Amino acid sequence: MKKAGFGFYAVLTLSLMVWGYYQAIYVAPNDAMQGDIFRIIYYHVPLFICTFLLFGISFAGSIGFLSFRHSRPAWAQIADAWALSGAEVGVVCCGNALMLGSMWGRRAWGIWWTWDARLTTTLILWLIYVSYLLMRRFSSGTQVQTLAAVLGIFGALDIPIVYMSNRWWRTQHPAPVFGGSSDAGMAKSMLIPFGWNVLAWMAWAILILAIRFHVERQQQRVAAAEAQEALAGHSIL
Amino acid sequence: MDQAAILDHQFRVAAYILTWCIQLGYLGYLAVRWRALKRQADRRERNPR
Repeated sequence: MKKAGFGFYAVLTLSLMVWGYYQAIYVAPNDAMQGDIFRIIYYHVPLFICTFLLFGISFAGSIGFLSFRHSRPAWAQIADAWALSGAEVGVVCCGNALMLGSMWGRRAWGIWWTWDARLTTTLILWLIYVSYLLMRRFSSGTQVQTLAAVLGIFGALDIPIVYMSNRWWRTQHPAPVFGGSSDAGMAKSMLIPFGWNVLAWMAWAILILAIRFHVERQQQRVAAAEAQEALAGHSIL
Repeated sequence: MDQAAILDHQFRVAAYILTWCIQLGYLGYLAVRWRALKRQADRRERNPR
């Protein structure tokens, strides 16, 4: 039943991705100023929306781990698995979206990168979570999960700064299309393909997150079994 | 099609292809890790110490 549900969701996600691609390439019109390069927005912005969602999950998981680590260790392990999964999938999506933005910038601005507030705060966000993953990968000991949870919480504080950066400061990055000034917005012919792509990428991010979570839970089970064996071996000696 | 439009098109195609390489590459990496862990757990179940 569980497998069938997963299979159905995977097929649904794949269909949404194909539909989203069709909408972005064949239905949405060319932008009058930017032409074909504008279509990068149909992947770039949804990937950043997913990034914020995933780092938000990592933030919630980190809080959960710190809250339950003494009272309910089993719950704390589940929360930690969500925190790590959210961070890892978030890093993939954020890195991917940064790369897309850079490619768009090369054609629209003539440069691959500029130290503008939006770009810089996003790069910092990505680097914070890369450091989170490196810490988890290369450190050992009983305090690693706790330290990672603290870093995960502080890292998430950069999310509202990234979101507000092109509202607070004058940036080279385009002004906000949604939730910006009164004359901002998107034509309906572009908004519908954009909406489909947001939906498709959200479904994709949830699918990958669920897979990563299951891998982490399996990893925890293997580690627990190894620790149990080590203890048993120690008591025999 | 002028030169700029051709370049725009090439950049857009490259961006989409790279995106799918990254996403599917990561999915493949997860599949490999899952298989390795599953094998490890199965081996432990068959030969408990």
